[in-house]
Amino acid sequence: MTPPRASAAMDRTYRRMLWPASLAVGIFAIAPLLGMLALSFTDFHLVRGWSGKIGIHNFLRLFEDRRFVSSIYIMMALSAFGVLAQVVLGTAIAVGLDKIVGKWRVARGIFVVPFAVPHVAVALIWLSLFTPTLSPINAVFAVFGIEVPALLTTQTGAITAIVIADTWATYPFVMLIVLAALQGISPDLDEAAALDGATRVKAFFRITLPLLYPTLLMVALFRFIETLKHFPLIFVMTSGGPGRATQATNYYAYVQTFQNSNVAYGASIAVFLFLFAAAISFYIAKANARLSDA
Amino acid sequence: MIKVTRRALTATLLLGSTALAPMLAPGTAAAQEREVNVLLFSMPSTRGLAALADDFEAETGIKANIDVVGQDVFESRITLSFTGGARDIDVVHTPVIQVQRWVEAGWLEPMTAQIDGLADKDDILSGPLEAYKVSGDYYGMPFFAETGLMAYRKDLLEAAGVGVPETWDEMLEVAKAVDSDDTAAIAMRVAPGQGFNMFVFPMIMRAYGGKFFANYPDDMTPAINSPENLKALNTYITLMNDYGPQGIGNFNFPEVVAALQNGQAAMTVDGTSIVSQAVDPAASKFADQFVLALPPGGPAGRSPAIAVHGLGIPAGSENADAAFEFVKWATSTETLSKLAINEAYPDFTRASVAENPEVQAKYADVQENFLDLRVEALTLALGHYRPLIPTWPEIGAAIGENVNAAVNGLMSPEEALEAAEDEMKSILAY
Repeated sequence: MTPPRASAAMDRTYRRMLWPASLAVGIFAIAPLLGMLALSFTDFHLVRGWSGKIGIHNFLRLFEDRRFVSSIYIMMALSAFGVLAQVVLGTAIAVGLDKIVGKWRVARGIFVVPFAVPHVAVALIWLSLFTPTLSPINAVFAVFGIEVPALLTTQTGAITAIVIADTWATYPFVMLIVLAALQGISPDLDEAAALDGATRVKAFFRITLPLLYPTLLMVALFRFIETLKHFPLIFVMTSGGPGRATQATNYYAYVQTFQNSNVAYGASIAVFLFLFAAAISFYIAKANARLSDA
Repeated sequence: MIKVTRRALTATLLLGSTALAPMLAPGTAAAQEREVNVLLFSMPSTRGLAALADDFEAETGIKANIDVVGQDVFESRITLSFTGGARDIDVVHTPVIQVQRWVEAGWLEPMTAQIDGLADKDDILSGPLEAYKVSGDYYGMPFFAETGLMAYRKDLLEAAGVGVPETWDEMLEVAKAVDSDDTAAIAMRVAPGQGFNMFVFPMIMRAYGGKFFANYPDDMTPAINSPENLKALNTYITLMNDYGPQGIGNFNFPEVVAALQNGQAAMTVDGTSIVSQAVDPAASKFADQFVLALPPGGPAGRSPAIAVHGLGIPAGSENADAAFEFVKWATSTETLSKLAINEAYPDFTRASVAENPEVQAKYADVQENFLDLRVEALTLALGHYRPLIPTWPEIGAAIGENVNAAVNGLMSPEEALEAAEDEMKSILAY
């Protein structure tokens, strides 16, 4: 079904409505991106400046750099476990909230609260919860003589801790979008399924979930791109440690650029990250389009 | 009609937003007055300085716009200002750790003539001042010099029947005797970073005779993998893992302070601003029991940590005269004394401040001999405690990350120091 053709005058108006946004995107997104791309082919160093060298040396160096390669594994672990946890938890809560009526609907507001907490504050909250000497969790278990292990001093533990903090702060995003999608699904479908003798669980997995699929894919994509940009949680909770075990790629780009002054190399890491995120977005968007057409 | 209105509306909106912008930017209309823009990062003393901005204007007629921001924001903002040649900042917070790097990049204005011209130059503590000298010129005036001290619980040491550790070897014995299920013997920073674990670990390194370079500054061959440094690292690892609180491997200074104040750790060795929080009765449950002393030493003597902060003037400043007026005022005996009285700030950089009776009275409350102890530690401290070289931020981070990995058991102490040595070589060769 195609929408009715608008008049030429209306078309002009619609185009004009795009001007301010185009200007903003052009100045604040495209221009810096091109600047970063240009930088990534130089050897610009904050202190030593630019020798005039131009080439793909930074990109060649990337794949010989063990710290860069391991940063990708760390990033992927944070993203994969983070997105999975956020989508499952956010969807579960949305499904629960969707059926709640009456005064309990206030729960929707409460479940959104973590989303409003700034990331640095989220990081500080979880840093204290995961620091055994400060944590009420450890204090409670200590009463029963149980010693809760210190998560932030091992690689697996520190990645788990960051995933937990990230999930706590961002599941409401998933929840809100899934809730909106659920409200768009007709209750008639559930009734029809019930009449045909399907259990509620069966109806959920056979009817609701497939209908939610495009929404879940989109929301997972958004979260995935966001998790590639992990920074404040790492900066505050672990400083990239233990050792370098939580230096994800975006954090490593910061280390190279600001701490080590290797601006050009940092830019090449950022360009890689951008292309990586763009490629995955493109692939998922295509998959989504195929699904919607089907 | 409708068409005109629509176009007019768009135009008005666009024009309106641009026309409003200058009105929203403060201070543009008053540009004729003399002003200095000061960028500092947040510490008790810089916040205290910002609160005194009106005094500066009253004395000199120059208005000081003092911006105090978080350290992470500070670093990106000043980097952008320097590299972009923005000249929007007249006076900049200049940690001594950054001076060599900033001077090499040509970002700072020398102020040798002005400093040499000061009538009371001799009053400035010479160690901190000389740290701002790069190839014969001064590039900053110190306003803050923090040094390292030890804090220990006298009740717990007495109960364990041990004396105050004078060396790190003795510290191992004392820690073993003091450590209990209720109170860990010692808590120190372990989190990786040139300003985190690399602020405290060199105190152990240098006590055992360890160095960063073969013979700084004449022979800059990396020497981090020496037997002395290995001994120091093993001592640090044993202290932290065997006698430190649970989770110590990720401790930074806030966690150390909390552990001391809540009775979860009996000792620490850290900067004066950290250890003095252990004896602060308003915050610490064990303020009465904590005693401050010099940090432990070793075969090579004691080497208290030192961290110096100062004020610099960005290169090409069009406002350099007013900027130096501000630097002079901010580092004067009068201003530093006010700060020492108003804030938790025993880190002043002029000897005369310690002669002020009000300052003396305030810090005698911390501990009778606190100011003397601080001067003694400062005198013992090496100016190049952390090497004064442009690549230090990168080298310090590399060593700190490997040291942290060793404490957390990700690699052996030998491997960590070898890795640090290799990384130092490649950073210096690059």
